[in-house]
Amino acid sequence: MDLKGRASHGLHISPEDVQRFCEFLYRRTGMSFTEAKRYFIDRRLEDRMTATGSSSFQAYFSLLRADADHEIEHLINSFTVNETYFYREDHQLRCMTSSLLDVITSQKKPGGTVRIWSVPCSTGEEPYSIALWLMENWPQVDSYNIEIIGSDIDTRALKAAAEGIYGDRALMRLSPDLIDRYFRLVAHGGHQIDEGLRNSIEFTRANLIDSNDMAPYRDFDLIFCRNVLIYFDDASRRQAAENLYGCLRPGGYICLGHSESMSRISPLFRVARFPDAIVYQRPEADDG
Amino acid sequence: MPLVRGSKSPAGGDPAPHRAALDSPDAESRWTAARALSGDADAVPLLAATLGREPVPRVREAIMTALMRVGNAASVEAILPYLRSQDAGLRAAAIEALQALPEAVAPFMAALLSDSDSDVRLLATELARNMKASEATRLLCDVIAHEQHPNVCAAAIDVLTEVGTPQALPALEKCAARFAGTPFLPFAISVAIARISSAEG
Amino acid sequence: MADIGTPPKVRVLVVDDSSLVRLYYMSALEKAGFVVEQAINGIEAMEKVLSEPFDLVIVDVNMPRMDGFTFLRSLRCSAADVAMLPALMISTESGMQDVAEARAAGANFYLVKPVADTELVRHVCILTGVAL
Repeated sequence: MDLKGRASHGLHISPEDVQRFCEFLYRRTGMSFTEAKRYFIDRRLEDRMTATGSSSFQAYFSLLRADADHEIEHLINSFTVNETYFYREDHQLRCMTSSLLDVITSQKKPGGTVRIWSVPCSTGEEPYSIALWLMENWPQVDSYNIEIIGSDIDTRALKAAAEGIYGDRALMRLSPDLIDRYFRLVAHGGHQIDEGLRNSIEFTRANLIDSNDMAPYRDFDLIFCRNVLIYFDDASRRQAAENLYGCLRPGGYICLGHSESMSRISPLFRVARFPDAIVYQRPEADDG
Repeated sequence: MPLVRGSKSPAGGDPAPHRAALDSPDAESRWTAARALSGDADAVPLLAATLGREPVPRVREAIMTALMRVGNAASVEAILPYLRSQDAGLRAAAIEALQALPEAVAPFMAALLSDSDSDVRLLATELARNMKASEATRLLCDVIAHEQHPNVCAAAIDVLTEVGTPQALPALEKCAARFAGTPFLPFAISVAIARISSAEG
Repeated sequence: MADIGTPPKVRVLVVDDSSLVRLYYMSALEKAGFVVEQAINGIEAMEKVLSEPFDLVIVDVNMPRMDGFTFLRSLRCSAADVAMLPALMISTESGMQDVAEARAAGANFYLVKPVADTELVRHVCILTGVAL
């Protein structure tokens, strides 16, 4: 045992073990690592082996393959940045205003409704970011009715989202000017987002995997479903993708998280490339 | 049209209109119907029959999902014939649905791995990937001991590289001897042996 | 004598759901001086092809979620900068009908598995205009 109390000296991970592990991770999630990132993997693998009390790589790998105690979720968590903050992965927001909305509104009359869904919305950073971004970057923001819905399975997160109070970390990507215009300081510290914005977003509870939950959500033009599907097992991912398909109108778009790909989830969507991002589209029509 | 929650039997709501809608000329109606019948064990024969004549890929996917959610022997039997399809897309869809059901598929594995059609044998090796390591190793070692078709062996070795236990080493060595001097297989076997051997140490 | 510089490396995308096949092809192609990327099925292949330039795609048939034929058909209907990407299809099938089907889907060339590494490199050189 070393000073930290971890049995790290007993953990022997051979290059073949790492290869086996990397191939499993790549096949399952699409995440791949170059030789240069080898240390990154070693560290996390050791951490997970220790956390699960695995005495050997083989023991850990069996556990991982069986997804015992949601180990896959813990593992992926250790490889991804999990915090939510305003303007996270903003290239997709840029894609929305630079490319997607042009296509979306080409099918709508002026004054028509654009429906955007953030699911899961967690504590609201994403739906509020969408609203903020639109107001700041979309010249036609006043020409259409924009409906933004934020949904999550966690009712406590939804409550926090409705309150709209955020710490400095959540706002770290926002300019002081933006914060000044859209937030105000509140009594216990933290910044609360403008009341008008809080009232303009509908927050609801929904479970992506539950077709009944998802059934009332229809005709969305754009869905942000970022950094959640990667954690689901195969069957649940498939089910969620099918549900999301039904929630989009034909031709509607869906954006996944930066480590996620429909190649690991579902064949239902078309890969759509734009200057700022690769997103996915529900086909306009069925062929065949 | 309300969607019925997937379960062993439809939770409230009459399945009859959904069953009728499986024959609708409209793809969207058929898709909704398949999703409504998801997990409905009684609907398996009907879903299986519809699958065979469904031309629209996303409806086929929904029917496969519906069958997968039932996950019993009958639903596995309904999906298995599509491993023989001439349509690569249908074969891919079938394998994917079956991969989610390792327990339900297990009783069929021996027969699949000795099917007269080498394509079926090849696809079936993939189904061992989600099984327990010891069982997968046993099944796949049987394959590589007797299989003449190099591509089926290659597929089996690919899965063994991930899940194989040290029990697989003798069978891999013998297979290497059998296919010595042929393209790709000696390489594949050497990688499998290296990965599995490292697990022993 | 003017320095014409080193020619840019030829970029190949290997698409196969078997990690061993990808490893085999990638090692051989990298040794031969190609830059190689990988994808596990047609969807990932489409993402990569749309994100970075390639000179050739090598595509298997039986892959989960999107098979090789569906990928090729999709590729040939894609944006102009990728629709003409040369494609070498590698299949387990050796029948005339399978070759015809591959060509109809948009394959430029067709090989039958298992393909030896030397044979693969030779074909890739020919298809990308690299001297053997």
